[in-house]
Amino acid sequence: MTFTMDTNRDCARAWEAMPSVLQESASLEQNAWLMDHLAHCQSCSADYAQQERLRLALSLPADIPVDPAVGLKRLLTRLDAPVPKPVVQRVRNGWLTRALAAAVLLQAIALGALGARYWSENNSPAYRTLSQASAPVPAGALHVVPDATMSLADWNALLHSLHLQVVGGPNDVGAYTVVPSGASATGTPTLQKLRATRGIRLAEPVASVP
Amino acid sequence: MNEADQQADATDRMLLERMAAGDRAALGVMYRGYHGRLCRFLSRLTRRPDVIEEVINDCFWIAWQKAGTFHGDSRVSTWIMGIAYRCGLKALRQHGDEPVDEDTVPQERLPSHDPGDDRELRDWLGKGLEKLSVDQRVVIELVYGVGHSLDDVAVIMQCPVGTVKARLFHARVKLRNVLPSLAGEPARLKEGAP
Repeated sequence: MTFTMDTNRDCARAWEAMPSVLQESASLEQNAWLMDHLAHCQSCSADYAQQERLRLALSLPADIPVDPAVGLKRLLTRLDAPVPKPVVQRVRNGWLTRALAAAVLLQAIALGALGARYWSENNSPAYRTLSQASAPVPAGALHVVPDATMSLADWNALLHSLHLQVVGGPNDVGAYTVVPSGASATGTPTLQKLRATRGIRLAEPVASVP
Repeated sequence: MNEADQQADATDRMLLERMAAGDRAALGVMYRGYHGRLCRFLSRLTRRPDVIEEVINDCFWIAWQKAGTFHGDSRVSTWIMGIAYRCGLKALRQHGDEPVDEDTVPQERLPSHDPGDDRELRDWLGKGLEKLSVDQRVVIELVYGVGHSLDDVAVIMQCPVGTVKARLFHARVKLRNVLPSLAGEPARLKEGAP
Protein backbone atom coordinates (compact mmCIF):
# COMPACT_ATOMS: atom_id res chain seq x y z
CA MET A 1 0.00 0.00 0.00
CA THR A 2 1.31 3.44 -0.83
CA PHE A 3 0.29 6.39 1.25
CA THR A 4 0.99 9.92 0.18
CA MET A 5 0.71 11.45 3.63
CA ASP A 6 2.39 8.78 5.68
CA THR A 7 4.68 6.49 3.89
CA ASN A 8 6.65 5.09 6.76
CA ARG A 9 6.58 1.48 7.78
CA ASP A 10 5.04 2.13 11.18
CA CYS A 11 1.89 3.50 9.59
CA ALA A 12 1.60 0.44 7.35
CA ARG A 13 2.13 -1.78 10.38
CA ALA A 14 -0.50 0.16 12.30
CA TRP A 15 -2.97 -0.23 9.43
CA GLU A 16 -2.29 -3.99 9.43
CA ALA A 17 -2.75 -4.29 13.20
CA MET A 18 -6.03 -2.37 13.49
CA PRO A 19 -8.49 -5.23 12.75
CA SER A 20 -7.05 -7.61 15.35
CA VAL A 21 -6.83 -4.83 17.95
CA LEU A 22 -10.43 -3.86 17.27
CA GLN A 23 -11.43 -7.53 17.51
CA GLU A 24 -9.55 -7.70 20.83
CA SER A 25 -7.65 -10.69 19.49
CA ALA A 26 -4.27 -8.90 19.30
CA SER A 27 -1.51 -9.62 21.80
CA LEU A 28 -0.94 -7.17 24.64
CA GLU A 29 2.35 -6.18 23.05
CA GLN A 30 0.75 -5.48 19.67
CA ASN A 31 -2.04 -3.58 21.34
CA ALA A 32 0.38 -1.43 23.33
CA TRP A 33 2.50 -0.73 20.27
CA LEU A 34 -0.50 0.45 18.25
CA MET A 35 -1.76 2.70 21.03
CA ASP A 36 1.69 4.22 21.33
CA HIS A 37 1.84 4.84 17.58
CA LEU A 38 -1.63 6.37 17.50
CA ALA A 39 -0.66 8.75 20.28
CA HIS A 40 1.81 10.55 18.08
CA CYS A 41 0.46 9.86 14.55
CA GLN A 42 -2.53 12.01 13.73
CA SER A 43 -3.25 10.33 10.41
CA CYS A 44 -3.31 6.79 11.84
CA SER A 45 -5.31 8.03 14.80
CA ALA A 46 -7.97 9.34 12.41
CA ASP A 47 -7.91 6.03 10.54
CA TYR A 48 -8.33 4.09 13.76
CA ALA A 49 -11.25 6.25 14.81
CA GLN A 50 -12.89 5.59 11.46
CA GLN A 51 -12.27 1.85 11.80
CA GLU A 52 -13.77 1.91 15.29
CA ARG A 53 -16.82 3.65 13.94
CA LEU A 54 -17.01 1.14 11.13
CA ARG A 55 -16.97 -1.74 13.60
CA LEU A 56 -19.63 -0.05 15.71
CA ALA A 57 -21.84 0.47 12.66
CA LEU A 58 -21.37 -3.13 11.56
CA SER A 59 -22.31 -4.43 15.00
CA LEU A 60 -25.73 -2.72 14.96
CA PRO A 61 -28.62 -5.16 14.63
CA ALA A 62 -30.05 -5.70 11.16
CA ASP A 63 -32.36 -2.94 10.03
CA ILE A 64 -34.42 -5.31 7.91
CA PRO A 65 -37.35 -6.73 9.86
CA VAL A 66 -37.48 -10.51 9.70
CA ASP A 67 -39.57 -12.18 12.40
CA PRO A 68 -37.78 -15.26 13.81
CA ALA A 69 -41.03 -16.77 15.15
CA VAL A 70 -42.68 -16.65 11.72
CA GLY A 71 -39.55 -18.02 10.04
CA LEU A 72 -39.21 -20.89 12.52
CA LYS A 73 -42.87 -21.82 12.11
CA ARG A 74 -42.39 -22.00 8.34
CA LEU A 75 -39.26 -24.09 8.78
CA LEU A 76 -41.03 -26.59 11.05
CA THR A 77 -43.90 -26.81 8.56
CA ARG A 78 -41.36 -27.49 5.85
CA LEU A 79 -39.82 -30.28 7.92
CA ASP A 80 -43.24 -31.94 8.20
CA ALA A 81 -43.99 -31.61 4.50
CA PRO A 82 -43.28 -34.74 2.48
CA VAL A 83 -40.13 -34.45 0.47
CA PRO A 84 -41.19 -34.01 -3.16
CA LYS A 85 -39.65 -36.69 -5.29
CA PRO A 86 -38.19 -35.26 -8.47
CA VAL A 87 -39.82 -37.87 -10.67
CA VAL A 88 -39.76 -35.79 -13.82
CA GLN A 89 -36.22 -34.75 -13.18
CA ARG A 90 -35.21 -38.34 -12.60
CA VAL A 91 -36.86 -39.44 -15.85
CA ARG A 92 -35.14 -36.64 -17.69
CA ASN A 93 -31.87 -37.52 -16.05
CA GLY A 94 -32.36 -41.18 -16.96
CA TRP A 95 -33.08 -40.32 -20.57
CA LEU A 96 -30.13 -37.98 -20.66
CA THR A 97 -27.84 -40.59 -19.13
CA ARG A 98 -28.93 -43.21 -21.64
CA ALA A 99 -28.44 -40.79 -24.53
CA LEU A 100 -24.99 -39.86 -23.30
CA ALA A 101 -24.07 -43.53 -22.82
CA ALA A 102 -25.26 -44.32 -26.35
CA ALA A 103 -23.22 -41.43 -27.74
CA VAL A 104 -20.12 -42.61 -25.91
CA LEU A 105 -20.68 -46.17 -27.16
CA LEU A 106 -21.07 -44.97 -30.75
CA GLN A 107 -17.97 -42.91 -30.42
CA ALA A 108 -16.01 -45.88 -29.08
CA ILE A 109 -17.19 -48.10 -31.96
CA ALA A 110 -16.28 -45.46 -34.53
CA LEU A 111 -12.86 -45.00 -32.99
CA GLY A 112 -12.31 -48.75 -32.99
CA ALA A 113 -13.28 -49.04 -36.66
CA LEU A 114 -10.99 -46.17 -37.61
CA GLY A 115 -8.14 -47.72 -35.65
CA ALA A 116 -8.61 -51.13 -37.29
CA ARG A 117 -8.66 -49.53 -40.71
CA TYR A 118 -5.56 -47.54 -39.97
CA TRP A 119 -3.55 -50.54 -38.79
CA SER A 120 -4.73 -52.74 -41.64
CA GLU A 121 -3.38 -50.32 -44.22
CA ASN A 122 0.30 -50.54 -45.10
CA ASN A 123 0.81 -46.92 -44.59
CA SER A 124 4.55 -46.80 -44.27
CA PRO A 125 5.64 -43.26 -44.93
CA ALA A 126 7.17 -42.22 -48.21
CA TYR A 127 10.16 -40.76 -46.45
CA ARG A 128 12.96 -42.12 -44.32
CA THR A 129 14.53 -40.39 -41.34
CA LEU A 130 18.26 -40.25 -40.83
CA SER A 131 17.98 -42.40 -37.70
CA GLN A 132 16.35 -45.23 -39.61
CA ALA A 133 18.35 -48.07 -41.14
CA SER A 134 19.11 -47.88 -44.87
CA ALA A 135 16.61 -49.35 -47.26
CA PRO A 136 17.21 -53.11 -47.70
CA VAL A 137 19.22 -54.06 -50.76
CA PRO A 138 17.93 -57.03 -52.83
CA ALA A 139 20.01 -60.18 -52.73
CA GLY A 140 22.58 -60.41 -55.53
CA ALA A 141 22.71 -56.69 -56.10
CA LEU A 142 25.81 -55.27 -57.73
CA HIS A 143 27.30 -51.81 -57.92
CA VAL A 144 28.41 -51.05 -61.44
CA VAL A 145 30.24 -47.91 -62.63
CA PRO A 146 30.15 -47.53 -66.40
CA ASP A 147 32.69 -45.38 -68.13
CA ALA A 148 31.54 -41.93 -69.17
CA THR A 149 32.28 -42.76 -72.78
CA MET A 150 30.02 -45.81 -72.80
CA SER A 151 26.97 -45.27 -74.95
CA LEU A 152 23.48 -45.86 -73.68
CA ALA A 153 22.92 -48.51 -76.34
CA ASP A 154 26.02 -50.46 -75.22
CA TRP A 155 24.92 -50.15 -71.55
CA ASN A 156 21.45 -51.41 -72.34
CA ALA A 157 22.79 -54.26 -74.45
CA LEU A 158 25.16 -55.31 -71.68
CA LEU A 159 22.41 -55.35 -69.06
CA HIS A 160 20.13 -57.24 -71.42
CA SER A 161 22.77 -59.87 -72.20
CA LEU A 162 23.50 -60.45 -68.53
CA HIS A 163 19.79 -60.34 -67.52
CA LEU A 164 20.30 -57.38 -65.22
CA GLN A 165 18.15 -54.37 -64.46
CA VAL A 166 18.93 -51.07 -62.79
CA VAL A 167 17.18 -50.52 -59.43
CA GLY A 168 19.13 -47.53 -58.19
CA GLY A 169 21.64 -44.86 -59.07
CA PRO A 170 23.57 -43.28 -60.36
CA ASN A 171 24.82 -42.09 -56.98
CA ASP A 172 27.36 -39.36 -56.29
CA VAL A 173 30.21 -41.36 -57.80
CA GLY A 174 28.21 -42.53 -60.83
CA ALA A 175 27.53 -46.08 -59.60
CA TYR A 176 24.35 -47.92 -60.53
CA THR A 177 22.76 -50.65 -58.45
CA VAL A 178 21.73 -53.56 -60.63
CA VAL A 179 19.93 -56.77 -59.75
CA PRO A 180 19.17 -59.86 -61.77
CA SER A 181 15.93 -59.58 -63.69
CA GLY A 182 13.40 -62.39 -63.46
CA ALA A 183 14.47 -65.61 -61.82
CA SER A 184 18.10 -65.44 -62.86
CA ALA A 185 20.74 -65.00 -60.22
CA THR A 186 23.95 -63.05 -60.25
CA GLY A 187 27.12 -64.78 -59.34
CA THR A 188 30.80 -64.81 -59.97
CA PRO A 189 30.41 -65.42 -63.74
CA THR A 190 28.20 -62.34 -64.12
CA LEU A 191 30.61 -60.31 -62.06
CA GLN A 192 33.58 -61.50 -64.11
CA LYS A 193 31.76 -60.75 -67.36
CA LEU A 194 30.98 -57.27 -66.19
CA ARG A 195 34.57 -56.65 -65.17
CA ALA A 196 35.81 -57.98 -68.47
CA THR A 197 33.49 -55.79 -70.48
CA ARG A 198 35.04 -52.79 -72.10
CA GLY A 199 33.62 -49.57 -70.72
CA ILE A 200 32.90 -50.92 -67.22
CA ARG A 201 35.18 -49.26 -64.74
CA LEU A 202 34.02 -51.09 -61.62
CA ALA A 203 31.73 -53.95 -60.72
CA GLU A 204 31.39 -55.03 -57.10
CA PRO A 205 28.80 -57.01 -55.18
CA VAL A 206 26.83 -54.93 -52.68
CA ALA A 207 27.82 -55.79 -49.15
CA SER A 208 24.87 -57.25 -47.32
CA VAL A 209 23.61 -55.26 -44.33
CA PRO A 210 23.53 -57.31 -41.13
CA MET B 1 -10.90 -18.45 20.86
CA ASN B 2 -11.66 -16.96 24.27
CA GLU B 3 -13.51 -18.65 27.10
CA ALA B 4 -16.91 -17.22 26.14
CA ASP B 5 -16.47 -18.48 22.57
CA GLN B 6 -15.51 -21.94 23.84
CA GLN B 7 -18.57 -22.08 26.05
CA ALA B 8 -20.84 -20.95 23.22
CA ASP B 9 -19.35 -23.56 20.91
CA ALA B 10 -19.85 -26.31 23.50
CA THR B 11 -23.51 -25.32 23.79
CA ASP B 12 -23.87 -25.29 20.00
CA ARG B 13 -22.36 -28.77 19.75
CA MET B 14 -24.76 -30.08 22.32
CA LEU B 15 -27.69 -28.55 20.43
CA LEU B 16 -26.39 -30.02 17.18
CA GLU B 17 -26.19 -33.48 18.71
CA ARG B 18 -29.78 -33.17 19.85
CA MET B 19 -30.79 -32.00 16.40
CA ALA B 20 -29.09 -35.04 14.92
CA ALA B 21 -31.29 -37.13 17.19
CA GLY B 22 -34.40 -35.35 15.85
CA ASP B 23 -34.96 -32.88 18.70
CA ARG B 24 -36.95 -29.99 17.24
CA ALA B 25 -36.72 -27.96 20.44
CA ALA B 26 -32.94 -27.89 19.98
CA LEU B 27 -33.49 -26.70 16.42
CA GLY B 28 -35.70 -23.90 17.73
CA VAL B 29 -33.07 -22.79 20.25
CA MET B 30 -30.37 -22.84 17.60
CA TYR B 31 -32.60 -20.99 15.12
CA ARG B 32 -33.43 -18.18 17.53
CA GLY B 33 -29.82 -17.97 18.70
CA TYR B 34 -28.44 -17.45 15.23
CA HIS B 35 -31.32 -15.50 13.72
CA GLY B 36 -30.01 -12.04 14.59
CA ARG B 37 -26.48 -12.47 13.31
CA LEU B 38 -27.65 -14.33 10.19
CA CYS B 39 -30.15 -11.58 9.47
CA ARG B 40 -27.46 -8.93 9.68
CA PHE B 41 -24.97 -11.02 7.72
CA LEU B 42 -27.47 -11.69 4.93
CA SER B 43 -28.57 -8.05 4.89
CA ARG B 44 -25.09 -7.34 3.48
CA LEU B 45 -26.04 -9.52 0.50
CA THR B 46 -29.63 -8.50 -0.10
CA ARG B 47 -32.13 -5.97 1.21
CA ARG B 48 -35.13 -8.22 0.62
CA PRO B 49 -36.61 -9.58 3.89
CA ASP B 50 -38.36 -12.43 2.08
CA VAL B 51 -35.07 -13.61 0.60
CA ILE B 52 -33.31 -13.29 3.95
CA GLU B 53 -35.94 -15.45 5.63
CA GLU B 54 -35.77 -17.96 2.81
CA VAL B 55 -31.99 -18.20 3.09
CA ILE B 56 -32.08 -18.59 6.89
CA ASN B 57 -34.62 -21.39 6.54
CA ASP B 58 -32.60 -23.06 3.77
CA CYS B 59 -29.56 -22.84 6.03
CA PHE B 60 -31.30 -24.49 9.00
CA TRP B 61 -32.97 -27.03 6.73
CA ILE B 62 -29.49 -28.16 5.70
CA ALA B 63 -28.19 -27.95 9.28
CA TRP B 64 -31.09 -30.16 10.38
CA GLN B 65 -30.40 -32.70 7.66
CA LYS B 66 -26.62 -32.70 8.13
CA ALA B 67 -26.37 -32.29 11.90
CA GLY B 68 -25.21 -35.89 12.26
CA THR B 69 -22.38 -35.41 9.78
CA PHE B 70 -20.76 -32.48 11.64
CA HIS B 71 -17.33 -33.75 12.65
CA GLY B 72 -16.18 -30.75 14.64
CA ASP B 73 -13.42 -29.66 12.28
CA SER B 74 -14.45 -26.07 12.97
CA ARG B 75 -16.65 -24.18 15.37
CA VAL B 76 -20.36 -24.78 14.91
CA SER B 77 -20.83 -21.06 14.25
CA THR B 78 -18.27 -21.23 11.43
CA TRP B 79 -20.10 -24.23 9.96
CA ILE B 80 -23.50 -22.49 10.16
CA MET B 81 -22.16 -19.25 8.66
CA GLY B 82 -20.56 -21.24 5.82
CA ILE B 83 -23.89 -22.86 4.99
CA ALA B 84 -25.64 -19.49 5.17
CA TYR B 85 -23.02 -17.91 2.91
CA ARG B 86 -23.48 -20.57 0.22
CA CYS B 87 -27.27 -20.44 0.50
CA GLY B 88 -27.05 -16.64 0.27
CA LEU B 89 -24.99 -16.76 -2.90
CA LYS B 90 -27.45 -19.24 -4.39
CA ALA B 91 -30.35 -16.94 -3.51
CA LEU B 92 -28.51 -14.00 -5.09
CA ARG B 93 -28.20 -15.96 -8.33
CA GLN B 94 -31.90 -16.78 -8.25
CA HIS B 95 -33.31 -13.46 -7.08
CA GLY B 96 -30.64 -10.91 -7.87
CA ASP B 97 -29.31 -8.50 -5.26
CA GLU B 98 -31.43 -5.50 -6.09
CA PRO B 99 -32.66 -3.70 -2.99
CA VAL B 100 -36.34 -3.89 -2.32
CA ASP B 101 -38.35 -0.69 -2.53
CA GLU B 102 -38.79 0.64 1.01
CA ASP B 103 -42.42 1.44 0.25
CA THR B 104 -43.18 -2.24 -0.15
CA VAL B 105 -42.16 -2.98 3.45
CA PRO B 106 -45.24 -2.79 5.65
CA GLN B 107 -44.97 0.06 8.11
CA GLU B 108 -45.68 -2.16 11.11
CA ARG B 109 -42.73 -4.37 10.19
CA LEU B 110 -40.21 -1.53 10.35
CA PRO B 111 -38.11 -1.41 13.55
CA SER B 112 -40.09 0.13 16.36
CA HIS B 113 -37.22 2.35 17.40
CA ASP B 114 -34.19 3.53 15.58
CA PRO B 115 -32.39 6.26 17.52
CA GLY B 116 -31.09 9.14 15.52
CA ASP B 117 -27.46 8.20 16.17
CA ASP B 118 -28.03 4.67 14.88
CA ARG B 119 -29.80 5.92 11.79
CA GLU B 120 -26.95 8.29 11.06
CA LEU B 121 -24.44 5.50 11.59
CA ARG B 122 -26.38 3.14 9.32
CA ASP B 123 -26.55 5.76 6.59
CA TRP B 124 -22.83 6.40 6.94
CA LEU B 125 -22.11 2.66 6.69
CA GLY B 126 -24.55 2.18 3.81
CA LYS B 127 -22.72 4.76 1.72
CA GLY B 128 -19.52 2.81 2.13
CA LEU B 129 -20.87 -0.70 1.70
CA GLU B 130 -22.57 0.12 -1.58
CA LYS B 131 -19.12 0.74 -3.05
CA LEU B 132 -17.88 -2.73 -2.13
CA SER B 133 -18.22 -6.01 -3.98
CA VAL B 134 -20.32 -8.78 -2.44
CA ASP B 135 -17.24 -10.68 -1.27
CA GLN B 136 -15.73 -7.55 0.27
CA ARG B 137 -18.98 -6.82 2.11
CA VAL B 138 -19.08 -10.39 3.40
CA VAL B 139 -15.50 -10.26 4.68
CA ILE B 140 -16.00 -6.90 6.38
CA GLU B 141 -19.17 -8.16 8.06
CA LEU B 142 -17.62 -11.44 9.19
CA VAL B 143 -14.48 -9.81 10.60
CA TYR B 144 -15.79 -6.54 12.03
CA GLY B 145 -19.44 -7.40 12.49
CA VAL B 146 -19.42 -11.02 13.69
CA GLY B 147 -15.82 -11.05 14.92
CA HIS B 148 -14.57 -14.14 13.09
CA SER B 149 -10.85 -14.68 12.67
CA LEU B 150 -9.38 -14.63 9.17
CA ASP B 151 -8.94 -18.41 9.36
CA ASP B 152 -12.63 -18.84 10.17
CA VAL B 153 -13.61 -16.55 7.31
CA ALA B 154 -11.46 -18.61 4.95
CA VAL B 155 -13.37 -21.74 6.04
CA ILE B 156 -16.73 -19.99 5.64
CA MET B 157 -15.94 -18.66 2.17
CA GLN B 158 -13.97 -21.78 1.19
CA CYS B 159 -10.97 -19.84 -0.04
CA PRO B 160 -7.34 -19.35 1.05
CA VAL B 161 -6.58 -17.07 4.00
CA GLY B 162 -4.53 -14.89 1.65
CA THR B 163 -7.64 -14.21 -0.41
CA VAL B 164 -9.52 -13.18 2.74
CA LYS B 165 -6.68 -10.83 3.71
CA ALA B 166 -6.69 -9.26 0.26
CA ARG B 167 -10.46 -8.77 0.30
CA LEU B 168 -10.34 -7.24 3.77
CA PHE B 169 -7.46 -4.96 2.78
CA HIS B 170 -9.19 -3.69 -0.37
CA ALA B 171 -12.51 -3.27 1.44
CA ARG B 172 -10.91 -1.23 4.22
CA VAL B 173 -8.98 0.97 1.83
CA LYS B 174 -12.08 1.59 -0.26
CA LEU B 175 -14.16 2.45 2.82
CA ARG B 176 -11.35 4.68 4.09
CA ASN B 177 -11.48 6.63 0.87
CA VAL B 178 -15.22 6.90 0.39
CA LEU B 179 -16.56 7.32 3.90
CA PRO B 180 -16.76 10.84 5.32
CA SER B 181 -14.61 11.18 8.38
CA LEU B 182 -15.94 11.86 11.85
CA ALA B 183 -15.47 15.61 11.70
CA GLY B 184 -17.63 15.82 8.61
CA GLU B 185 -14.77 16.70 6.33
CA PRO B 186 -14.72 15.15 2.85
CA ALA B 187 -13.35 11.65 2.47
CA ARG B 188 -9.58 11.56 2.19
CA LEU B 189 -8.38 10.05 -1.02
CA LYS B 190 -5.19 8.06 -0.79
CA GLU B 191 -3.15 7.86 -3.91
CA GLY B 192 -1.91 4.43 -4.80
CA ALA B 193 -4.60 2.77 -2.79
CA PRO B 194 -6.83 0.43 -4.78
